[in-house]
Amino acid sequence: MARDTAVLVLGGGSTGCGIARDLAMRGLDVTLVERGNLTDGTTGRMHGLLHSGGRYAVSDQASATECIEENEILREIAGHCVEETGGLFVQRPEDSDDYFREKLEGCRECGIPARVLSGSEAREVEPYLADDVKRAIEVPDGAVDPFRLCVANAIDAETHGARVETHAEVIDLLRDGDDIYGVEVRHDSGPGKRTHATPGTTEEITADYVVNATGAWAGQIGAMADLEIEVRPSKGVMTIMNVRQVDTVINRCRPKGDADIVVPHETTAILGTTDEEVSDPDDYPEAGWEVDQMIDTLSELVPILSEARTIRSFWGVRPLYEPPGTGTQDPTDITRDFFLLDHADRDGVSGMSSIVGGKFTTYRAMAEEISDHVCEQLGVNASCATAEEPLPGSENIERLEAGMDDFGLRSPVARRSKQRLGSRACDVLETDEPNPVICQCEGVTRAEIQDAVSQSGSDLNAVRIRTRASMGNCQGGFCCGNMASELHPTHDEETVREALDELFQERWKGERHALWGEQLSQAMLNYALHAATMNRDRDPASAGEDVDFAAFDGGRPEGDRVDGPRGAR
Amino acid sequence: MSDAERPTDGGVSGDDDFEPIQVFPEAEEMDLRPGADDCYKCSTCDTNCPVAEVDDEFPGPKFQGPEQWRLKRQEDQDVDDSVMKCSNCMRCDSACPSDVPLSQMHNTARGEYVEEQMDKFSREYVRNRILANYRRLAPLGSMFPRTTNFVMGLSATQWLGEKVLGITSERELPEFATETFREWWTKRGGAQVTNPDKRIAYFHGCYANYNTPEVAKALVRVYEHLGYEIMVPDQHCSGTPMFANGMLEDARRSAETNVRELAAALEDGADIVASCSSCSMSLRQEYPELFDFDGTDDVAENTWDAVEYLRVHEDLEAELEGTSVGDEFDDFAYHAPCHARNQGLDGQTLEVLAPIDGVEAHDVGDSCSGISGTYGWKAENYETSMKIGEEMVDHMEDADAETGLTECPTCSMQMEHGTGYEITHTLEVLEAALVGTAESTATGANAQ
Repeated sequence: MARDTAVLVLGGGSTGCGIARDLAMRGLDVTLVERGNLTDGTTGRMHGLLHSGGRYAVSDQASATECIEENEILREIAGHCVEETGGLFVQRPEDSDDYFREKLEGCRECGIPARVLSGSEAREVEPYLADDVKRAIEVPDGAVDPFRLCVANAIDAETHGARVETHAEVIDLLRDGDDIYGVEVRHDSGPGKRTHATPGTTEEITADYVVNATGAWAGQIGAMADLEIEVRPSKGVMTIMNVRQVDTVINRCRPKGDADIVVPHETTAILGTTDEEVSDPDDYPEAGWEVDQMIDTLSELVPILSEARTIRSFWGVRPLYEPPGTGTQDPTDITRDFFLLDHADRDGVSGMSSIVGGKFTTYRAMAEEISDHVCEQLGVNASCATAEEPLPGSENIERLEAGMDDFGLRSPVARRSKQRLGSRACDVLETDEPNPVICQCEGVTRAEIQDAVSQSGSDLNAVRIRTRASMGNCQGGFCCGNMASELHPTHDEETVREALDELFQERWKGERHALWGEQLSQAMLNYALHAATMNRDRDPASAGEDVDFAAFDGGRPEGDRVDGPRGAR
Repeated sequence: MSDAERPTDGGVSGDDDFEPIQVFPEAEEMDLRPGADDCYKCSTCDTNCPVAEVDDEFPGPKFQGPEQWRLKRQEDQDVDDSVMKCSNCMRCDSACPSDVPLSQMHNTARGEYVEEQMDKFSREYVRNRILANYRRLAPLGSMFPRTTNFVMGLSATQWLGEKVLGITSERELPEFATETFREWWTKRGGAQVTNPDKRIAYFHGCYANYNTPEVAKALVRVYEHLGYEIMVPDQHCSGTPMFANGMLEDARRSAETNVRELAAALEDGADIVASCSSCSMSLRQEYPELFDFDGTDDVAENTWDAVEYLRVHEDLEAELEGTSVGDEFDDFAYHAPCHARNQGLDGQTLEVLAPIDGVEAHDVGDSCSGISGTYGWKAENYETSMKIGEEMVDHMEDADAETGLTECPTCSMQMEHGTGYEITHTLEVLEAALVGTAESTATGANAQ
């Protein structure tokens, strides 16, 4: 029976997009479906650490070794998504010397370059470290933008012929006896790029093979075909600081625990995290104390954090998995390794494998292994090239960085734009049109917004993850409206309004957890701007009814006006 | 710091016996990103910026300050060149409702720009260095003041100044006094009042020393009249023109001397007063924001504007009640300098002058004069400077007065340049009211 596609990948996170790119590059016909926009699940809710492997150097050396290998590959193939910040494992006086030594030895055993710095040397690297930090191990940790990396994978998959459908939620697995042969999806606004205010449709997509790469949601997908997949979703809170207090990844050098990492991320620093098992990856409590406790604990390492402004907090859900019968109680002890579950071997149901567990840094290696498995199932003989072929934006990146062209932009705006766009900078920023800065906080220009709009339709959250527009300290208060205006006239008024509301709501979601101090002032100003200046709290145009203009009177006659006749002043 | 510079430590040693001496960071290396936390982008600073008002190319203080700092990463060196268009009037500081350290951010970024990006052999750099270091040239000028004044006044000199250095030929360079304040002070034998209970150290700055010693003398006579012992410590330029030109190393050297000398005066029981509003601004705000010498904070906390000090420590209103000044002064069009405004002193002169009979001061509003120290002297800024000053000049001409009054030397240059009025300093009016005019006192002294 002819199928719509050879391989159907479920899930538009780092794993799914990585698999789609890998298989498409091997010449397979691939379709990827994602419930929301790309990175909507766990990928978009991580702390942005590109592991050197140092964090696993004591507890899980296999993972550590894999991390350093992939770390080095990503620096090469995804230079425009990676910032080579370096990282420190910082020891406070109360932290164990034995553990420090084990960490250092572990790094060396795993091939992770590691060097000891004295307390004062560490403070010279990072002046905001606490005065009493004892010493530190320097490792090649880095910062990675998960949005950009994931999108680059998806773009490259499309370039190699793949079909990528976002806002297409899987509502059923198509199963014929003991064979899974596709899914039914519900398109939010029909297939293709998303357009708000357009009615949805459903579609059956059949495939020779299905890869369930939905992470923490893999159990829910499996249940649609009566398969039991024991993912143990575990939530972790992350808090975004308004500015970078550190330019190096700061880890606490002690056995795994809560609140032990600060990652410089673009213009911000992200504090992480906690580890607590939840039953439903879509519905779990988000408590203020989790944020408070994390800031308190990390202030022991970087005291300025206790006074610093946070702009939002968010929770991510780890797709942890352990084979049935392992019975680990504490989620922090569950392995971070990934598992390929071939349901033919495991459940006697052919046509689908699920991929669970794993971590962002090693997404490419996971994708390679799964792609090998898929090729074997389909009898295809093709080898993986993802470790050598740079992602779009990262070709000839050194040449771009050497280039002095500022595209007529102010230097910090040009610098940040080029870092985001990588080798695509010239194509995107060279324009004869006026190119004003739309998002002042992050230095994003109209040309970059328009480029993102051309990729993602009316979905402003998709524009956001591509450009960082609205991710700065006003959290979209000043720029959401201008971003939405960029959709017009391609999109009509109703679409633009819905897109604006959706983006602004999404920004508010994380801001709710940062409402004190300056961010509270910011929220009040944003409210005043949107509710009062823009009249968005009771805009008649949003009421969906026609405005009865005849009901308005004509105003006072000129002679009665308190300020005199018009033009008299 | 590159890896090569870092001492390597292969083994695991628990002790910290190698502790490099902790030196405070150079001003241009300061990390002011945390200051961006206070900004919620309301843009009040932009609407109060006199340069942004007249120059569409200038992105304004919000970009220059918190936005640019927030976009910065540790290794980034490039500061946008628009920072050189900031006139350092510091109005953004007082406009900000949220205490963003805007001028500190501008000063630091400007210092970094000049240090890292400006060609040290460029005309602009040389010119700025000369303007910023006016104090180093002034002694030469005042050695032969008449010759200097003659040569500087020649149109050929001014033409050369513009062509070679980019100093506008539209303005007339300030004249050097035939006798500096310090020469006068030495000649008269220093302080003529001793009083261990009421002692001030006078920071006269450069301009009152070399160009308008009558202002400095007025301060001496007013303070001595009120029973103060005056100390005149050794001093360098306050640093204001150096900050504005991003010459932070020059400013550091000057500030080091000033802090040392003024801190010593504090030890001797003096408070510090300044007659120039930019000098007092610099000692009070910019020093502690940019430097960390021993005593910097003490000096900042004990520095006053000369008139402000009297209003707080004396019953100045009672002293002035019933005094009068004669024909030597007409009514004044008064302009409050931005740097006085930033110290909360913008209403002061009008209130102080109110009880004096025979003279009236009319406030010409809260606009900026536009010259901002060395800013308006640069050929490329001249037009902007005059556009900013237009409102002040219009209001001066509309006011019922034919002379001007202000506390800032360069504002007075702009006021004179824009209206042709003669410009007086508030202290000169106080001197006339409390002591009598400079001439009559001088005559009296000679008669003895």
